[in-house]
Amino acid sequence: MVRRRRYWPYIRIGLLALALLAAGYVLYLDLRVRHEFEGRRFALPARIYARPLEVHVGLKVPEDDVVRELRELGYRAVARPDGSGWYVRNGAELEIAVRPFVFWDGPQPARRLRVSFAEGAVSALADAQGAEVALARLEPVPIGGIYPTNNEDRLLVRLSEVPKVLVKELIAVEDRNFYSHWGFDPRGIARALLSLPTGHVQGGSTLTQQLVKNFFLSPERTLRRKAVELVMAVLLELNYSKQEILETYLNEIYLGQDRDRAIHGVGLAAQFYFDKPVQKLTAAESALLVGLVRGPGYYDPYRHPQRALERRNLVLRETRDEGSISAAEYQAARARGLGLNPRPSTGTTPYPAFVDLVHRQLRHDYDEDDLRSEGLRIFSTLDPRVQAAAEHALSDRLAAFDRQGRFGKPGLEGAVVVADPQSGEVQALVGGRDPRYQGFNRALDAERQIGSLFKPAIYLTALQDPSRYTLTTMLDDSKFVWQPPNAEPWRPENYDKQYHGQVPLYLALAHSYNVAAARLGTTLGLDNVFATARKLGIERALPPYPSTLLGAANLTPLEVTQMYQTIASGGFRSPLHAIRDVTTADGHPLKRYPLAVAQAFPPDPMYLLTAGLQDVVREGTAQSLANWLPPLGVAGKTGTTNEQRDAWFAGFTGARVSVVWVGYDDNRPARLLGATAALPVWGQMMAALEPEPVAFPQPEDIEQATIDPQSGLLADSSCPGAIELPFVKGSAPQARAPCAGNPVVDNVKGFFQHLFGH
Amino acid sequence: MRLLLLFAALLAGCAATPPAQTPPPQGSAPVEAAPPASLGVPAAPAAAAPNPAVERLMASARADVAASRLGSAEATLERALRIAPRDASLWQQLARVRLQQGQYQQAESLAARSNTWAGGDNALRAENWNLIAQARDARGDSEGARAAQQNAERYNR
Repeated sequence: MVRRRRYWPYIRIGLLALALLAAGYVLYLDLRVRHEFEGRRFALPARIYARPLEVHVGLKVPEDDVVRELRELGYRAVARPDGSGWYVRNGAELEIAVRPFVFWDGPQPARRLRVSFAEGAVSALADAQGAEVALARLEPVPIGGIYPTNNEDRLLVRLSEVPKVLVKELIAVEDRNFYSHWGFDPRGIARALLSLPTGHVQGGSTLTQQLVKNFFLSPERTLRRKAVELVMAVLLELNYSKQEILETYLNEIYLGQDRDRAIHGVGLAAQFYFDKPVQKLTAAESALLVGLVRGPGYYDPYRHPQRALERRNLVLRETRDEGSISAAEYQAARARGLGLNPRPSTGTTPYPAFVDLVHRQLRHDYDEDDLRSEGLRIFSTLDPRVQAAAEHALSDRLAAFDRQGRFGKPGLEGAVVVADPQSGEVQALVGGRDPRYQGFNRALDAERQIGSLFKPAIYLTALQDPSRYTLTTMLDDSKFVWQPPNAEPWRPENYDKQYHGQVPLYLALAHSYNVAAARLGTTLGLDNVFATARKLGIERALPPYPSTLLGAANLTPLEVTQMYQTIASGGFRSPLHAIRDVTTADGHPLKRYPLAVAQAFPPDPMYLLTAGLQDVVREGTAQSLANWLPPLGVAGKTGTTNEQRDAWFAGFTGARVSVVWVGYDDNRPARLLGATAALPVWGQMMAALEPEPVAFPQPEDIEQATIDPQSGLLADSSCPGAIELPFVKGSAPQARAPCAGNPVVDNVKGFFQHLFGH
Repeated sequence: MRLLLLFAALLAGCAATPPAQTPPPQGSAPVEAAPPASLGVPAAPAAAAPNPAVERLMASARADVAASRLGSAEATLERALRIAPRDASLWQQLARVRLQQGQYQQAESLAARSNTWAGGDNALRAENWNLIAQARDARGDSEGARAAQQNAERYNR
């Protein structure tokens, strides 16, 4: 007794401390609940859009491709006189009801268009009344996003937008006493326990508890966690209204998986499963979504349609039993099919390689957290038509190699980059043979030797000095040994193991002679050639050895594309970029990525170099391009590296510059040439994209002369194989080739022709 | 003497003829395969058929500039350039906007870009050199500005 009395005060203090501790903990939980619930805006992924299609008369685009883009946008091929988002095809005329869309430069209302096509181009554009329209912009196709770390995706909805029937169904199945309980529901728990053996649908947790579980807690199942969940649920109910809790629940709930993308909330689920806004969901459709709450994988309507249907019907029945829908409504809903959106799932993006590039460029300007949570709208430069052509060309050619059976497993890999030479906008990017695979992005990360793709930097260095070098300057392609001090001598060889003696510069380029190029490069000086390479856009430090002249430098396809962009634009370097504009979630402009050009070279040497690269295609290593493209003056360069580990082709038409790489990931010899492996990909792709001729305006200081390829001297009509080549004025050869006739006679003849001929 | 003059005049006439007789632009014509082969397809003339879409955007950009909405003008001109990347006057307009935005290096490069597509339009070239002169001047390169000004005058003649 005495003992007890003696200890009692301590026990009391202990209990008090315990009570205080518990109260403190509850207070802490309360703080946490309120802080997170209020502070928490749902993490909204940045959404990335393709370039919008700008329709105008003269636009070269086949009608099929416009229709494909409309379908990608979810447009239906049925006229709905009141709404938008549909198209009707009448032969060569397309009627489109364009949806409203908020662009970076403001909202664009819905409008009706009539587009006529002729010969693969838009021939007329008018509105519904038949009045001419100069220019119309379609919505851009969404191509993916930058997601929170767990790849949660959602479209936020207000409770007022959610159909009443969906809420009734949810409450009937998940939490019948939702409107009357205090966060937990003893009756519900009892019912769940009682009905366990009968397979009843009801679980023990209230909606509030489910929300707490998803929101604040880790998934482990312990008694302590259950207790905390209960307390937090009560706290949530004390702090917030039923409406607020319900709205948050409807946006939070996990409802499915689209490859790596987690579908959260009824807004996105409505779009994902039924391709419609949540407001338009029917009783049957919303019952399917409510049925998914218990197990989005188990009841996945795509993989287990029968199971999903039964689950849906169970939801409908429970809702009827609760009296929330009538028997007639129940019967009607029950009779419906699943009505799923047939679109194949694309995961976070169908274009992982391109989205990767967008993401990397965004990281320069934005916090990673903001990108993953602020719902930014990113307007990118991706052209889905170009992307599709690039993907098809690469997979077709690689499949052809697979069929030959000599390339083993894992097979050849490849990468493609396509850009607009005028602006540096990246139009397409393929990172490997499976363009949907989110893995190693070869277009950005495969650092490979570039072989002869480097040679234009040598020739451009030379052609900048017209007093010493022209396209017809004779280069020495005889045996060459470079002896650096205190190092092994370097003996470059030609691909055919032959030496070709004296060769005019343009032919040395066309046939990609290594020895002539190496000798020229060392004569010009490595530093000078590397300076040219830098100005062309190669920012990486190049290995300071002469072997770099023949492409012993490792570069990525994107870096090579930058180099060829500068060439394709006539010397105006534009940093390759994948983004045009960024706006906030509600359309407020945040940042533009404006067109930037820097004149890196004057027009004259660029014109000469381009003529040389055109000759590569006309009579050099890229002649076989004629199998794919009509003679358009396409310019390009093949590249093949030691033991044929890498096959490259880089080139440009009037409207696009592109680089293709093919090889093995493990860098083993592929035994393929640039011309046989990479060039066909390039050719097939460009042929599918209405190629335009290379149209470089001839600079004022350039004149043309007809040249005899044997001697590199002036030719006339009696010289076989004569070629017209550009020269900086005054730099063309003065001497006449042996094959050419007597100059005096010729001139006099010309004079009299002028007098009397015309 | 008179005969000599006549002969000189004839010669001058002949000398003047070739530029007018240079082969027509091969914008869409394939490069001839028969010798002499010709490389470097000449550009389509800058003054191609006016494109109503480009004209509409150009007008909108002008209105933007007049109202000092330079950011909007810039976006509109870039939009037009995606449709007509070889339109020298669009490049010039963009150069002018950049000049007003104080981006002198860009202004100069864009004016040079316009020059490459200018073809025989000497007035356009003169204006481009004017813009380059202003841009250089603003950057403090008075010598470069003078050289550009001289080019402008050469084309203005």
